Amino acid sequence: MKAALIGAGQIARQHLTCLQTLPGVELTAICDLSPATAEAAAERYGIRAWFTDHRAMLEKARPDVVHVTTPPTSHFRLAMDSFDAGAHVIVEKPATSTFEELEALVRRAQEGGRHVIEDHNYVFNRAPQEILRRIKSGEFGAVTHVEVLICLDILGPNGFADPNSPHPALTLAGGAIADFLPHLASLAHRFVGPHRTAQTVWTKRKPSPLPFDEFRGIVDGERGTAALSFSSSSQPDALWLRVYGERMQATANLFETRLTFDGPRNVPKPLRPFLSGLAEGKAIRRAALATLLRKFKGPGTYEGLWELLTRTYRALADGSGLPVTASDVLEVNRMVEALKPREQRP
Amino acid sequence: MRALVTGANGFLGRHVVAALLARGVEVRAMVRPAARLEALGWPSCVEIFRADLRTSRELARAFEGVDVLLHLAAVVSGGEDAQFAGTVVATERLLDAMASSACRRLVLCSSFSVYDYSSTHRTLDEGSPLHPVPDVYTRDGYTIAKWWQERVTRRFAEQQGWNLAVLRPGFIWGRDHGYLAALGQQLGRHHLVIGPLTRIPMTHVENCADVFALAAADPRAGDQTLNVVDGPGERIWSYLSDHMRGSGQPGWRLPIPYWLAIGTVRLAFATVFRRATKVPSILIPRRFESRLKPLHFENRRLRETLGWTPPFDYKQCLARTYGPAAPR
Repeated sequence: MKAALIGAGQIARQHLTCLQTLPGVELTAICDLSPATAEAAAERYGIRAWFTDHRAMLEKARPDVVHVTTPPTSHFRLAMDSFDAGAHVIVEKPATSTFEELEALVRRAQEGGRHVIEDHNYVFNRAPQEILRRIKSGEFGAVTHVEVLICLDILGPNGFADPNSPHPALTLAGGAIADFLPHLASLAHRFVGPHRTAQTVWTKRKPSPLPFDEFRGIVDGERGTAALSFSSSSQPDALWLRVYGERMQATANLFETRLTFDGPRNVPKPLRPFLSGLAEGKAIRRAALATLLRKFKGPGTYEGLWELLTRTYRALADGSGLPVTASDVLEVNRMVEALKPREQRP
Repeated sequence: MRALVTGANGFLGRHVVAALLARGVEVRAMVRPAARLEALGWPSCVEIFRADLRTSRELARAFEGVDVLLHLAAVVSGGEDAQFAGTVVATERLLDAMASSACRRLVLCSSFSVYDYSSTHRTLDEGSPLHPVPDVYTRDGYTIAKWWQERVTRRFAEQQGWNLAVLRPGFIWGRDHGYLAALGQQLGRHHLVIGPLTRIPMTHVENCADVFALAAADPRAGDQTLNVVDGPGERIWSYLSDHMRGSGQPGWRLPIPYWLAIGTVRLAFATVFRRATKVPSILIPRRFESRLKPLHFENRRLRETLGWTPPFDYKQCLARTYGPAAPR
């Protein structure tokens, strides 16, 4: 299967490193507006051809799959051109700037018998997958509620809040936080299904070029409720996922490898918290070591992206079910739309 | 003569501006939009041009009436991709703009980091090998960005027929920049001094700035590649001692022979870390060598080409770095 990539920036590195490890996948071409960026990526990953014009790349390389890893406002145009060239599209989140564009994109994919896969990477990290496995086996019980909280300092001068060069994400409704809504929504969607209603609070605590730096949302999903949050001020950085089931509860930090479960124990009731605490402590100590070791090698926090790409290519090759379907993409982004602020500023 | 200086408010840039003014060169200083310049005390004759090389659309205007470009801007912190974008893509955009102007001369600030220390023995000079492809991509983000910046600039200069001088400074030191990566490994207030008798390829920022101003004005610098060091360099042990005394930072110094340190790093890299490249730079043998390998450094070509001698000797540089600040 021939793969090509448009936009050789930071996240592209994860796509390319993973693609190098996938059997039966050949990285045939890469494109970036900057010739040096494209050529450097081609040299680094042993890619035969590099381009600065994506249409020339699509025409010459004829890829089966195109990864779109450019800033979000260009996704729609590049994905549409890739469909025209007969390729499947794996697109970074958010897939498009507006929901109308996404609907047009999905329609075009279906008309051409192609697929559009949005990167819902955290869903495929080991911790959520283990929780989903226990839910499927019945051990966890039905999910009643899920909490996802991203604590991330995005107010530093070198990223979203760069005072010299406005970050492309600031053009999205909600600004930089909008870049993280697909993470929140994709995790919520996986555990409680499509949303019926959503209520949000968007605020700004500190002076910065960002329109908002705090977000809270409550979602009423088809199978349960979700509390989704983003905090630029709470430290240290973390991505907390808490899932509440009828028999068990799970807590994970997706920036690390920490995952703990609390559930029924076959012991006298007063001893349950004590034994649960011991078990939790053991799991946390193990995770601390695993988190340290994964810093040396491998995808680290991006383990979910690698898993998603592995499953996607396997599904495309053998025609089995995709890990992220078109309806997943539409439902997640419908939730994202419901979470966006009504005003551009608080 | 009018010079456009990118990165003009940086550590080296502010001294280059002063050195150009001292030679009677008119200066247009390119700085980022949010840069604060009050503390620099630039005279009113310095023309300020605010732009961000990564995104500004009006870069061509910066070259109006300019005879020579001194390109010093580079991103030296942040992740590998941020450094590549801020150094290499920025250079592509700047030189695209220059190609539409009448300016035909440029002086590039490159770096010793482009040299492949691992393949260099005894003496490192302008003829020493550069990092080969694809090995260069196993180096740190700064090295990759500077290597690519020089590559991009040489390609532009060749295509456009420009007169290009590439200056490769060693470790630049000066006020508030006395601690150098070449000094080994800092552990709190204390120091592991790896190869205490190794000489450091170093240039004081004011001496280095003088070379840039000279290269901008002197046609003999055209089409030359010149290493910029003040001389053979101080030994790590004695420079660290001067630095600790000058900066008033007490601490212990533990000397470790270079061969013992590199041997340990190589062994750990092959066994404990299993050739992982995400460990700290000092634990990766090739990056370790780029910081600490004992080599002989000289500035013969710089002296012979431009007749340059450093305006300040080591003692004067120490005084200018650690003594009372000169009034503006």
